[in-house]
Amino acid sequence: MLRLVSRRARAQWPLLAALLGVVTIGATLLGTCTLLVTRTAERALEVAMARAAPAAVDVTVYTGTVEGRDTPSVAADTRTAVTSALAPFPATTTARASTVLRALPPELAPGTTVPAQAYLSGLDDLPARTELVTGRWPQHPGDAVLLESTAHLLDLTPGRRVRLGAELAHPPVAAIDVTVVGVVRPLAGRGWERDPLAAAGSATGYRDGRFLQPVNAYGPFLVDLADLVDSGATVDRMEITAHPDLSQANRRDLETVAGNVSAADRRLAGTLGDRVTLARVASDLPLTLRSVDDQRHVTAAVVLAIAVLGGVLTATALVLAGRLTAGIRADETALRSAVGTSRRQLAATATLEAGLVAAVAAALATPASSALHAGLTHLPPLDDAGLTVRPAVVGVQVLAVTGGALVLAAVLTVLAIRPVPAAGDRGTRRELLARSGADLMLVVFAAVGWWQLYAQSTAASPRADAVRVLAPAMLLTGGAALALRVVLPALRGADRLAYRARGLALPLAVSEAARRPQAVAAGLLVGLACASATFGLAFDTTWHRSQSDQAALSVGTDLALTLGTTPLAGDGALVSAATSGAVSPALNRGTTVGQWLGTAGDAPRLVAVDTTRADALLRGRVDGDRGWADAAATLAPRTRVTGLAVPAGAPLVLNGTATGDTPLTVTPRLLMQDATGLRTFCTGPAVPLDGRDVRLPACATADGLRLVAVALPVTAEPVSGPVAVAVTLTVPSAGSAESSADGSDWTATSAPPVPSRVSDPAVTLSTTSTGTVLRMAATVELGGADDAARTLVASAFPDPGPVPVAVSARFADEVGADSGSKLSVTIGITPVPIVVTEVVPTVPSAPGAVAVLADLDMLSRARVVTGDLTFPVDAWWVGDPAGPDAADRATALHLGTVTTREAETARLTGGPLRAGLPGALRLIVPAAALLLLAGVVLHVTCDLQARAVEVARLRGLGMSRRGIRAVLLGQHAGVLLPLLAAGAAAGALATRVVAPLLVRSDTGAAPVPAAQPHWPWPAEAALLAVLLAGCLLAVAAVVTVQVRRADAAHLRVAP
Amino acid sequence: MNGEPLLRVRGVHRRFRTGPSVVHALRGVSFDVTAGSMVALVGRSGSGKTTLLNVIGGLDRPDAGSVHVDGTDVTTLDEDGLSRLRREKVSYVFQSFGLIPVLSATENVAAPLRLARMAPAERERRVELLLDLVGLADHAGQRPAELSGGQQQRVAIARALAASPRLLLADEPTGQLDAETGLSVMALLRGIAESEGVTVVVSTHDAVMMALADRVIRIHDGHLDEQAAGQPHAPMPDAE
Repeated sequence: MLRLVSRRARAQWPLLAALLGVVTIGATLLGTCTLLVTRTAERALEVAMARAAPAAVDVTVYTGTVEGRDTPSVAADTRTAVTSALAPFPATTTARASTVLRALPPELAPGTTVPAQAYLSGLDDLPARTELVTGRWPQHPGDAVLLESTAHLLDLTPGRRVRLGAELAHPPVAAIDVTVVGVVRPLAGRGWERDPLAAAGSATGYRDGRFLQPVNAYGPFLVDLADLVDSGATVDRMEITAHPDLSQANRRDLETVAGNVSAADRRLAGTLGDRVTLARVASDLPLTLRSVDDQRHVTAAVVLAIAVLGGVLTATALVLAGRLTAGIRADETALRSAVGTSRRQLAATATLEAGLVAAVAAALATPASSALHAGLTHLPPLDDAGLTVRPAVVGVQVLAVTGGALVLAAVLTVLAIRPVPAAGDRGTRRELLARSGADLMLVVFAAVGWWQLYAQSTAASPRADAVRVLAPAMLLTGGAALALRVVLPALRGADRLAYRARGLALPLAVSEAARRPQAVAAGLLVGLACASATFGLAFDTTWHRSQSDQAALSVGTDLALTLGTTPLAGDGALVSAATSGAVSPALNRGTTVGQWLGTAGDAPRLVAVDTTRADALLRGRVDGDRGWADAAATLAPRTRVTGLAVPAGAPLVLNGTATGDTPLTVTPRLLMQDATGLRTFCTGPAVPLDGRDVRLPACATADGLRLVAVALPVTAEPVSGPVAVAVTLTVPSAGSAESSADGSDWTATSAPPVPSRVSDPAVTLSTTSTGTVLRMAATVELGGADDAARTLVASAFPDPGPVPVAVSARFADEVGADSGSKLSVTIGITPVPIVVTEVVPTVPSAPGAVAVLADLDMLSRARVVTGDLTFPVDAWWVGDPAGPDAADRATALHLGTVTTREAETARLTGGPLRAGLPGALRLIVPAAALLLLAGVVLHVTCDLQARAVEVARLRGLGMSRRGIRAVLLGQHAGVLLPLLAAGAAAGALATRVVAPLLVRSDTGAAPVPAAQPHWPWPAEAALLAVLLAGCLLAVAAVVTVQVRRADAAHLRVAP
Repeated sequence: MNGEPLLRVRGVHRRFRTGPSVVHALRGVSFDVTAGSMVALVGRSGSGKTTLLNVIGGLDRPDAGSVHVDGTDVTTLDEDGLSRLRREKVSYVFQSFGLIPVLSATENVAAPLRLARMAPAERERRVELLLDLVGLADHAGQRPAELSGGQQQRVAIARALAASPRLLLADEPTGQLDAETGLSVMALLRGIAESEGVTVVVSTHDAVMMALADRVIRIHDGHLDEQAAGQPHAPMPDAE
């Protein structure tokens, strides 16, 4: 038997080489995909964890109230506990601690009876978190630096010594003397939000639970951490953060560490015992590892789907090759049967030969898949994602390659022992029924697969399931089978038309294409390969577009600078200069809708920007052809607020009078607006309404500010009766270049909650030689509680009424709101009435959330007329920033964290956890093209060899070789063209119905916005042109060779 | 039959190399065939009959010698000239009929007329006439697989006559037919040769065919051994 196989292999080596080639291609594809879902996925997990943001992997231990004597041991034990939890990864730790409040010398905070308190803080890496403004860093025990604002408020300069009084503790802790050696400015994004006063430097009416009454708190006095720990002061809060070095991470260690971190709370509590009142371990590391793992599974599911598609393609190619082989060996098989070879012996021979082919293919495919995989990792996007690896063989790859080769060999064996229909057989009724049944089953499976995908949950489901893995292959195979059914009638139609020609070549070619018994396997392979290649290309585009859409909607704009601290007037100009884009302050935070807080852990979001520039600022797909300019058209105010120009540093003068003898005071609050729309307010001192001019502090701290509102809370002794008050605010002239007032509609109102306390509010504007004068007048009812609100508000705009908003579809669904619904949202503690004017699929920067989009100016106006001049801002949003380094320039401002749409898109498309998907897609396209060409060459060669005598006889009819070539080429082109077209149609159909369903988000949930199919016409046209040209070139080469061989020799040996 | 020879074969040699050995298929074959005659070419299998017909029809080129068909030296024609020769002057009838399987009887017969780019109306008339001539007018739309062997060979003869050739070469035309069908096919050939004035060279081992021929040329191991028509023939030892 071995001798027969060996001799036959020598005689039929080209045929066996073709079989071996197909099996090797399939096994290589399988091996490469296996490496993508194992080796690359593992590497991706390691790279992703190594690249994770510190906040995602850091472990922070918070401890509360540590008595001075225990502080050194608690700090040491905490560091030990946290670093041991992160073992075996090396970790670096940083710490910060703040003491409880201590009394400040009264002379530092004069003019108030409220106690002034201060606290000390120690930070490990102070120079990295602050910028030295003046003086030096602490070097010796007792050295301290102050924040700029604290130093300003307490009028402390380097060189001053300050005694911080004894703690109110048992036993008492002695006072501490510190020497101010420098003044620093806090840097954004360096953890200052965790400072007890959030780096504000002071807080009036501060309550920390140790005092019955609120106090005025100042600080921190920043000292060396070791100095603080050894000072004996009671530490109010201490946090130690450990940052693990995950550059050499592996899955097992990561899982161990995640487990340790999750259990660290309990262990730490045991270690610290009663030395602390509170100990808590906080870390996103376990969550990060889980989300990384989820994303890995999401990618693996699609790579597996591509592997299955490659497997189906290979099997189809092998069925074709096997059938052709069996056809060529039909005579030999018949002879062996005639001489008494049993079916079992035939099967044994076929199995032996197929086994040898599988063994050789596996031996070739193992290193080939390693090399191909390594080559892929050296190309974008895997290369860019840092997933480059050297060729290596792993066990699971060998298993997959060998298993795949054996399965394919089994297909060969089955085909070898299957009875071969005689040449020219048109197929029995039973065979036709079987084929129809198979086609029907394919279509049914494809439909079921699509339905399963369509009906899949939109919730997170990262794990690969059978439907998601098999659906593309089922749909494409079903589509190709159906397309094959369509091709024949099309060819018959062409056949009828072709016979109108006068010559022979065209009608003969079309007749050959239309009437010759069709080679189902060849047709299916051509259709399926073309469908797979076009689908691969389109799915790649669809996936990339979806990731881009998700990134755009997730960021909400082109560049978002999320603020770490409250923005200052003039920051907008800085951002604008750095990015050269359309800049707007933005609000992006949780809110409540009426009394509704949202579902658990999913609070409603309120997003507000300058919607007059929605087109430039807002990103993320809306519906159909609509842009954000259309969707936000109803949100923007009809007129812009201009207000009064206030020159930088100009002194504003307030003068007020009141009727009667009751002494009244107003504490003016002024709202300034800069060119980007940012509004900042400043509060002046209490001004008695006694007719004297009072200069207000310089509220215009930057150029280009305009006064847009003034709030005048009137306070008086508790007497009753109405009092007429008149207040003038003189704004110095802005100079000749700029008009101070430009026709704003100044309006006076009385702020709630009891507007009737201020009646007849009025405001007028006039210009004098000294500047613009704003005259405000009202009648104030003095009765009632002494802290009752009596606030006269003058604004450069009228009361806007309910703020028009666009709500997300989910908002509309969950709240039951529709266009016209009137609701209210709460910002801080101020409720703002809103009216729904638009329902949009989702709101920028809040994908899929219950969210509200509003105009920030309108929100501010609605708050101002209630007397709330605070302007809530969480970020700067920048549209169309100039240049690729705009993000770097914005980061360099140290205002907060910068996120860009481009960077997010790059993360979603080329990040290590996702790069495997486009990598695999780029594998399937050439693999499909290669198998298609191989199938075409095999089929045409065998077809023409079988018809060699027929071709020679055409010469006998007087047809020239050129004519015969034209007929044969036309015949195969006539079959290939509709098959390729049908394959492309199947690919397009699969792209339309299944590609969007295969795209999932990071968590495995349905992406937001929903993926839309994209058919890249130029790329698809180029691919089809290449496939067609490749096929025709291959056919032309085979035809030329065969026609050259079609000579009299064939006629001599012909029957 | 007397007159100018339509076919003149002079000193034709043809050798084939089969691995290390050389087979001499034709060794200086020379003969003439006058126009309108029917010549039977007989010989054992491998004697060179098919090679000689292929050389005459220009499907094969001799190593030496010349072949003149209707005054044209076939051996000097290039590919296009040979194709033109076969379209206009020489046609073939093959043992296995040589019909194009995907075409109907009508379309097969029309094939040479399409090659000659005959006008459709004239082509249809000619095809109808020929199918009627060979008695297959009722089977015009059927494909070869739907016809019997005899019917297929009749279609092949009709196709061979379609372009009104001067010379018809038939290679064992009855080889795959039973005796009765073979006889009717041969009678048809004979009748056509007479009615259409076509010169017929037919290779055969059929004694009846030899009897119908005007002249019998026996070929043996590449040499000719001519025999007068109508003389008794020894049965051939095997068929080609």
